[in-house]
Amino acid sequence: MVNAQTCNLSIRGKVIHLENNEPIEAAYIWVVEAAQGAVTDQTGNFNIKNLCPGTYAITIQYLGHREIKDTINLRDNSFNKTYRLEEESFNLSGVEIHGHRDAVQTTTAVTALYGDALMEARGENLGESLKRIAGVTTFSTGNTISKPVIHGMHSNRIMILNNGIRLEGQQWGAEHAPEIDPFLADEITVIKGAETVRYGPEAMGGVILVNPAPLFTKKQSLTELNLLGGSNSQMGNIALSHSGGSGKIKGLGYRIQGSAKRAGNVKSPDYYQNNTGMSELNFSGSIGYSSPKLGIETYYSFFNTSIGILRDAHTGNLSDLENIIQIGRPFTDGSFTYSIDNPKQVVSHHLAKLKSHYHLNENWKLNAQYGFQLNLREEYDRRRGDLNDKPSLDLQLYTNTLDLFLDHTHSNEFSGTWGVNLIQQANSNIPGTGITPLIPNYDMFNLGFYLLEKYSKGPVELEVGLRFDSRSVQTARYINNELQQADLNYQNFTAFIGGLFQLSPTLSLSSNLGSAWRPPNVNELFSQGLHHGAAAIEIGDPNLNSEKSFKWVNELEYDFKKLNLTVTGYANQIQNYIYLNPTGENVVSLRGTFNVYEYLQATAFFYGFDFAGSYQFTDNLSGYAKGSIIRAKNTDDNNYFPFIPSDRMDWGIAYNFGKSASSQTNKLTLSNILVSKQKREPDFDIAAAPPAYALFNLAYQRGIDLKGNKLNLGLQVQNLFNTSYKEYMNRFRYFTDDVGRNILLKINYKF
Amino acid sequence: MFNSKKSFLYAIVFAAFGFTACESNDPEPENDGEVITDVILSFQELNLSGTPTGAITTFKASDPQGIEVGSTPTIDNVTLTKGKTYQMKIEVRNSIENEDITSEILAEADEHQFYFLGTAFVGSSVLTYTYADSSGDLLGVVGKVVVAKSPGFNNANMRIVLRHDLDKNFPGASNPNFENFIQAGGETDLDITFPLILN
Repeated sequence: MVNAQTCNLSIRGKVIHLENNEPIEAAYIWVVEAAQGAVTDQTGNFNIKNLCPGTYAITIQYLGHREIKDTINLRDNSFNKTYRLEEESFNLSGVEIHGHRDAVQTTTAVTALYGDALMEARGENLGESLKRIAGVTTFSTGNTISKPVIHGMHSNRIMILNNGIRLEGQQWGAEHAPEIDPFLADEITVIKGAETVRYGPEAMGGVILVNPAPLFTKKQSLTELNLLGGSNSQMGNIALSHSGGSGKIKGLGYRIQGSAKRAGNVKSPDYYQNNTGMSELNFSGSIGYSSPKLGIETYYSFFNTSIGILRDAHTGNLSDLENIIQIGRPFTDGSFTYSIDNPKQVVSHHLAKLKSHYHLNENWKLNAQYGFQLNLREEYDRRRGDLNDKPSLDLQLYTNTLDLFLDHTHSNEFSGTWGVNLIQQANSNIPGTGITPLIPNYDMFNLGFYLLEKYSKGPVELEVGLRFDSRSVQTARYINNELQQADLNYQNFTAFIGGLFQLSPTLSLSSNLGSAWRPPNVNELFSQGLHHGAAAIEIGDPNLNSEKSFKWVNELEYDFKKLNLTVTGYANQIQNYIYLNPTGENVVSLRGTFNVYEYLQATAFFYGFDFAGSYQFTDNLSGYAKGSIIRAKNTDDNNYFPFIPSDRMDWGIAYNFGKSASSQTNKLTLSNILVSKQKREPDFDIAAAPPAYALFNLAYQRGIDLKGNKLNLGLQVQNLFNTSYKEYMNRFRYFTDDVGRNILLKINYKF
Repeated sequence: MFNSKKSFLYAIVFAAFGFTACESNDPEPENDGEVITDVILSFQELNLSGTPTGAITTFKASDPQGIEVGSTPTIDNVTLTKGKTYQMKIEVRNSIENEDITSEILAEADEHQFYFLGTAFVGSSVLTYTYADSSGDLLGVVGKVVVAKSPGFNNANMRIVLRHDLDKNFPGASNPNFENFIQAGGETDLDITFPLILN
C-alpha cells in the first residue's frame, strides 16, 4: 500500500498561550522528517500540507516560550491539535514579561473594532462607533445621544465593560447614553451572545468591552495625539495619551489619557437643530506592575459631559406633541451657536478599579478585581424663574463591584474559571428638584457564583457555564408626602453551552446556546407620573417578574485568500419581556391631555442574521458589504414591538494607492448605506415609521512614516449629498430630520 | 522588591475596605412647586372711560392633585352679560404649595403669553379680547373682553392656553386669538376650556 497519491495529508492545529488561552500569532512549527514548516496566523492556526502517512516529529517555537516537541502518527486527514505554549519567564524569572490583556474567552459570536477601523470612528460617541459592526445599530435621542443596540436589544439588556468593570450608569433611560470615552479604548469588542454567566445579570443581548491597550512592561514610551474637526456642528475634538514603562523597575508601566470635545448646534440639510450642542471632558490614568507571578493594576477614569436637547422636542402636552409631529421639523430654522441651554443633561461618571492576579503555580491563577463607580446625572427642563437653575432630575448612583475568580489552564484539554461576583449599589435622588422623583431611592445587592469549563481538542472547543444569582432591592420614595417602600428579591440560574469548530483551515463555525436573565429595573417597577418633555404618563408595575431569555447564536466564518465572509444567525426567546405599552387612555389636566403608558410583560421572540464580507478584486481594489436583518415579535399578542431596527446594509469599494497591501495606508473608500423602512410597526405609535433612505460617504486615509513616528491623516465626508432623512431608531425622528453633510478632518500622530 | 503573595493579599484587603457599603440616602418629600392646581378668572365691568366698576365675579378651574391618573379638573361655567365690556384678570395658583404662580408669570412676561381660543373667541366671535397688562407686555394676565351685543349663540367654549418659552416675535404671535400659537415654539403650561354662558 505504498502509494504516491496518498501524500496529500495535512497536519493542522492551533497554538495558544497556556496562561490565558490567547492565540499566538507567528509561532513557528517545524516538521523534522518532511523538512517543512509553517507559521501560525492571527487566530493561532497553522496547516502543513502535502504530507505522506507516517510518523513525524514536530517542534513548536515562539519567542520567550518553552519549545514543545511532539510526535505525530499521521494516518488520515483528521489530525488537528491545540498546543499550549508556556512562558519561559515562569521558571527563568523573566526573560520577557508581556502585558496582560485577557482575551475574550467565549464560543459566542465576537467582533472587534480596532486599528484603522477604530481610527475611522474617532470623534464619534460609543454608540455611533459601534455601528460599524454588523448587527449593531443605535437607539438615539437626537444626534448627540446614542445607545448601542445589539441584535435589537439595548439599555439594560446589554452590558458595557469599561476596562473590565461593568459600567453602571442610569442605563434605563432612552436618553441616557453610556458614560464612556471611546478614546480610552484601543480595541472595542462586541459579544453578540447571552453572556450572563460570565458577566452577570443583564448581559442578555450581548456585551461591549471597551479595552485600553495593555500597559508597557519594559522601558518604552508612546505618545498619541488625535486632533479632529467636523464641519457640521463645528465640532472640535482633541485627545492625548501617553504610555510608558519603567527602566528601573521591571514590569512597571503607566498610562495617562485625556480628551476634550466641543460641538455646537447640529445642522440638518434644511435647518439647524436649536440647542443640540455638547461638550465633553474626559480623563483616565492607570499604573500597573507585572512580575512572573503577580500582576497589579489600578485604573481611574472620569467622564463628564453636557448635552443640549433639541428645544422643540420638549413638549408640554399631547396637543403640542401632535402638532410638531404633524410638521415633522422644528418650528424655526435655528442658527448656529455653541451655547447649551435648558433642556439639557449634565452627567459625570467616576470609575476606579484595582485588579490583581497571582499565579499560584503554572496552572492556577487567582484573580481579584474591585471597582468603584459614582454616576451623577442632572437633567434640566425649561421651568419658571430660579427653577431653571435646578435640575428636574438629580440622581447619584454609587456602585461597588468585587470579582474573585480562579483560572485554571492545563497542558491537557481542560481550562476554566470559577468565581464569585458581588455588586452593591445605592441610588439617591438629591432633594430640591421641586418634582416628585421618577424613580425611588434604592439599595441593591447582588451575589453571584459561577463556573465555566472549556474543553479544547484539535479543531474543537467546547464550553459550558453555570451561574446562580441572588439579588435584593429595597426602595423608598415619597409620593404626595406619603412614604412608599418596597423590598424585592430575585433569584435565578443561568447556563450556557457553546462550541467552536474549525471545520477546515478556511472555515470555522461557532454555536452557543445560553440562558440569561434580567431583573426588572426600578423605572419599570416604580415609574409613576409625567415623563417631562415627552407628554407621556408612565406607570410602573412593582409586581413585574424577571425577564428570562434563551439565545442561540451561530457564526460561520470563511477566510480564503481574497474572500472573507462572516455570517451570524440567532434566535432569542424572552419570557416576561418588559415593554412600555400605550393604554389608549388619556389623562386630562389643567395643562392639557397626556397619553398614558404602562409597563407590561409578554413573550418576545427575536431572530435574525448579520453578515460581513470583503473581497480583494486586485492588489489595489477591494470591496466590502455588511448588513443585518432583525425580526422581533410579541408572540402573546402577535404584534410588533416599537424601536426594532429595520433591515440595513452598508457596502463600499476601496482603492489603495499604495504599491502593496503591506505598505503605508493610502486608501480612498466610497461607501453606501441603505436602510429600509420599518414595516413591522407596533399597533400604536405617535408617528408612522419614516421612509427608507440611502446615504453615501467618502473617506480618505493616509499613513505617513516620519522617522519611525507615525502620522495618520483622514478626510471623511459623511452624508455626501446632504440627503434629508429620518432614522426609525432615533426618537427625535418625530421632530427633526437627521444630521446633514459633515466633513471631518482627522489627524493622528504617534511618537 | 515586591513580595508577590503579600502584595496580592494587600490588594484583596484594600479591595475589601473599598467595599464599604455606600447606602442610599433617606428619601425626602419633594414639593411639586410648578404644578398649577387652580386657575381663577375674575371679571369686572369696565365703564365707558375704561375704569373697572362694580362687583367682581370669579370663575375657577381646579385640579387639586395636579397631573395624575384618575383625577379630572372641575371647571366652573363662566357667565357673562351680552353687550358688556369687562376687565378679565387671570390668577394661577399652586394650592399644594399655597404658591402664587401669577407673580412668576409676571416676572417672566417676556417668556409667557396667554392665548384665547375656542368658539367664544375664534370664528363668529362672541368675545373680543385685547391684552391690557399694566407692564405693556402682551401677556394676558390682565385683558379687556367685549361681549357681542347680539351673538349668534348663547353657549360657547372659552379655551385658555398659557404658552411658556415662546418666540413672541413670531409672525401672528401678538394676536391673542392666534390659533397657530404652537408654531411660535415653547410649550404649553395650561390648556383649559371653560364653558361660556351668555345672558
